[in-house]
Amino acid sequence: MAGVLVYIEQVGGDVAAVSRELMGKGQELAASLGGPLNALVVGGDVAGLASQVVALGAATVYTVSDASLATYTTDGHVAAAKATVEAAQPALMLASASFQMRDFGAALAADLDAGLAVDVTDLKVEGGAVSAVRPSHGGNVINTYTFAAGRPVVALVRKQSFAEAAGSASGGTVTSLPLPATTMRTQVNNVAPKTGAVNLTDAAIIVSGGRGLSDKDNYYKLIPPLAEALGGAYGASRAIVDAGWVPYEHQVGQTGKTVSPKLYVAAGVSGAIQHLAGMRTSRNIVAINKDPEAPIFRVANFGLVGDVNEVLPLLTAELRQRLGR
Amino acid sequence: MHIVVCMKQVPRDNSVKINSDLSINADGIEKIINLFDEYAIEEGLAWNEKHSGKLTVLSMGSDEWVEQMRRALAMGATDSLLLKDASFAQLDTLAAAKVVAAAIKKLGDVDLVFCGRNSTDDESGAFAPALARALGWAQLTYVGKVLDVDPAGKKVTAERHLETVVETVTASLPAVVSVIKDINNPRYPSLLKIKKVAKIQPPVWTAADLGVSGLSAAATISSRVPPPPRPSGEIIDGPDAAAKVRKLVDKLLENQII
Ligand SMILES: Cc1cc2nc3c(=O)[nH]c(=O)nc-3n(C[C@H](O)[C@H](O)[C@H](O)COP(=O)(O)OP(=O)(O)OC[C@H]3O[C@@H](n4cnc5c(N)ncnc54)[C@H](O)[C@@H]3O)c2cc1C
Repeated sequence: MAGVLVYIEQVGGDVAAVSRELMGKGQELAASLGGPLNALVVGGDVAGLASQVVALGAATVYTVSDASLATYTTDGHVAAAKATVEAAQPALMLASASFQMRDFGAALAADLDAGLAVDVTDLKVEGGAVSAVRPSHGGNVINTYTFAAGRPVVALVRKQSFAEAAGSASGGTVTSLPLPATTMRTQVNNVAPKTGAVNLTDAAIIVSGGRGLSDKDNYYKLIPPLAEALGGAYGASRAIVDAGWVPYEHQVGQTGKTVSPKLYVAAGVSGAIQHLAGMRTSRNIVAINKDPEAPIFRVANFGLVGDVNEVLPLLTAELRQRLGR
Repeated sequence: MHIVVCMKQVPRDNSVKINSDLSINADGIEKIINLFDEYAIEEGLAWNEKHSGKLTVLSMGSDEWVEQMRRALAMGATDSLLLKDASFAQLDTLAAAKVVAAAIKKLGDVDLVFCGRNSTDDESGAFAPALARALGWAQLTYVGKVLDVDPAGKKVTAERHLETVVETVTASLPAVVSVIKDINNPRYPSLLKIKKVAKIQPPVWTAADLGVSGLSAAATISSRVPPPPRPSGEIIDGPDAAAKVRKLVDKLLENQII
């Protein structure tokens, strides 16, 4: 058991950014573990992708290609991964922390009786043992788990935690493995893009509104136009999602989405601890609230005490003018 | 049809402290049913009403949890089961799933398990998949809508709501389904029902009852700290709203934030 195996995710026929990040960090971790950096590509037809992954520095790219693997199923993709683990014997397996990869990674770890760390933000190897840093409790606790050497570890990593692999002519090879006979207990009938999908987690700028917007009409009058002026997406507190103003897709917080944009604007949001749980790691936070004592100001880089009804239209107009949108 | 709903008790908010032995201290914070589990209970109740069977609310926890289990009973669960043993306290999610799987196997006649998509304290989302694998059953995670439960045809069909797509998937029963918040509106138990269940003591199964032993966490916690504090911010001053807004935009541009 040595080295690292990265599960490669695909976006429209290309290697996902997060997978390139895992190949970048994987290089360093594999060296510390004294083994190779290998990768795994699973899908319906993955030949094109495999050569891209060789260029990201994999010693061996394992491919498991089968018509039944064209869409994700837990049974199919876990079976493919287990066959690869058998061949590659990695000490550490890396995948992203997306919902699909949590479905996959937890099942794989359970089957392998491996250690598991989910939503990992940092990894290191010391004396052959893997340590994984992961926040819990809405980011209020930062845990470091240290796994005993000798038992494989599955780490599901939060995107943008590491720099992407530089890409090197590594002279790696591609090895194709057959999909072992597997009972597929699920059947995917349809995959549809979410309508009006807001990928809040990917947005660089987010403008969120809360109960301070008074009602649904006022929210839509003030928040999306500001988001648009900034080229960002719009979010919401749970209070106004539960009140039916805004779909759940937009909820930020402990029971909604966890976001870390470059800029998070909170308007008419009090900053309850459950809301902070979803946005406190944003790089910059602007708070607009009429109550100078609102807890949101405690995490804000820039605070503006004022009435949203007055401030937001001015801010939208000012940004439109100065950003030329 | 027998449905099991797995329920965890969590602190209402995450303003927890860290003890010197690195355990989590949630003293003084109100305890509630993990929010996603409340949706799982509601979904279980709805399908149980449709197929008139049995709904067991199952927790691996301590006596303290009985209060939240009673809330589930007041909502309409027909049965409850508490898994309690000193040896369960230090288990990680994968080992906990093995304990719960042993209980579900012992129950014998379970067709469908509902869980919340994750707990709001540990937040890994690993429990439902780990449980499904320990049972050798199908799993449907991040479900935002259950379209059909067909006990005779042994199938469940549901929508999985992922970040950017919605998958419609049919799984064979028995299966484990984890649900998101959007799926339904959990009912509030009436005062009368809360009174009616106030004295119910869930049956307790221990490690010996379940025949589980030798389970342990795969990792040790080598450090547990609060997050680094955010650098203190700045309040934008000005004679009026327009001046403050201009100053804010200046700062955002100056710092290359926009
Ligand atoms: C288990 C659990 C999970 C939860 N999960 C989440 C979660 O995921 N996300 C989340 O957001 N919340 C969550 N909450 C709810 C959270 O505790 C708060 O209730 C919620 O965040 C409050 O929303 P708010 O800030 O919009 O409303 P409020 O707390 O009512 O705040 C409104 C704010 O607007 C300001 N305001 C009012 N009028 C104006 C005006 N004209 N101009 C400017 N400012 C104004 C007020 O000063 C106040 O600060 C959860 C709670 C629980 C118990």
